[in-house]
Amino acid sequence: MIRHHPDNNMLLEYAAGSLPWALSLAVSAHLQLCPQCRQQRENLDRIGGALLCDSAPQSVDTAAFDQLMGRIEHEDQQEASSGEAAPAKPRPVYSSDPVLADLPKVIRKLVTSTGPLKWRRVSSALRTSRLNTGQDRYEVAFQRICRGGKVAEHDHRGREVTVVLYGSFSDSEGVYRRGDFLLREPGDVHRPIATQDQECLCLSVVEAPVKVTGLLGWLINPFLSFRPA
Amino acid sequence: MEIPQTRDDDWSQLLVRVGKNEDRAAFERLFRHFAPLIKGFHYSRNTQAFCAEAADELVQEVMIRVWRKAPTFDPSRASANTWVYTIMRNCRIDMLRRNNRRQDSDSSDVDVDDIWDDTADTQPLLFLQRSRGEQEIAEGLASLPPEQSHVLEKAYMEGKSHSEISAELGLPLGTVKSRVRLALKKLQARLSK
Ligand SMILES: [Zn+2]
Repeated sequence: MIRHHPDNNMLLEYAAGSLPWALSLAVSAHLQLCPQCRQQRENLDRIGGALLCDSAPQSVDTAAFDQLMGRIEHEDQQEASSGEAAPAKPRPVYSSDPVLADLPKVIRKLVTSTGPLKWRRVSSALRTSRLNTGQDRYEVAFQRICRGGKVAEHDHRGREVTVVLYGSFSDSEGVYRRGDFLLREPGDVHRPIATQDQECLCLSVVEAPVKVTGLLGWLINPFLSFRPA
Repeated sequence: MEIPQTRDDDWSQLLVRVGKNEDRAAFERLFRHFAPLIKGFHYSRNTQAFCAEAADELVQEVMIRVWRKAPTFDPSRASANTWVYTIMRNCRIDMLRRNNRRQDSDSSDVDVDDIWDDTADTQPLLFLQRSRGEQEIAEGLASLPPEQSHVLEKAYMEGKSHSEISAELGLPLGTVKSRVRLALKKLQARLSK
């Protein structure tokens, strides 16, 4: 049973297409596990449909339709002449790892696209592996906590979204299971602990540290580094 | 905002014909209807990154995808309006990404349709309410207090995030968020009536 969901504001930004790519990826992973939010997403899409239907029409060039059909025919011909070379299906690179065996579709594709995962040991309890999403505004990574592992208390400088993909973990506020979606604001301190019975895998999306240069940077950066750890 | 006069089922029927028979006449009618709406939907963005040429380009991209994807259109799952909306949103995200793509960041195979994917196993039980939901939402939108519908229009039609809306209107972020939530609550209440 999923208990933690993206809020309606974030779902609406996702449905309207203004939520940043990496956060949308996390929302998408949650949606694939959460029927309740999928239903909400449908309603939000319908708002878009209703607004489209209600828009004040703007005239479109009369030649636009013929132009479009020309493009379609051209594409069809090209496809026919290129002989339909089916693109090679990328091989799954992780099938032997039970923790990665049952990922949401979008995350599976992300893993395949990233290539072999390189796990970096952060502490005895925590390993992490970066995922390549083709953007650098957010850092996207798997975080893997070993059975019963305790992660050192930490906070974040930027917004962080966590989606539990396997196993579960807890902190002082509760227990988080597969599908749960957590948003932490900068400064929230937490100390995750994985449950005893199995490993825990999370997708983590963290706002990349702001790099400020120039005079402004001199003024701002000291504050950043003095945030309480 | 006005309540739409035509039931969108007509457009849905045309879409089904395009999907089943590659019916060009049906497609032309869809084009004449939706192309001006797609442009109108983005009209308020004209002053910014989204110029009129971009809107014309978007119309072409959207309608090509409508033609290609019509075979997957399922009128029991969504109305033509909502279906075209989701295609349009994905196209726009794609276009904006192509324009902003940084040369130095690694590319990824994950594309827009992977993240904004509506093919996840849906529950048949919900289907019955669907076409009714369309109507309820359109009527609900028309009866929202202006400050609430205004925020929804900015979010959808101008593509602004909550914080951008808050900066533009000079309102605290919390106020924008609560207006959105109140609007959704009202629409939701209509759906569950
Ligand atoms: Zn949910």
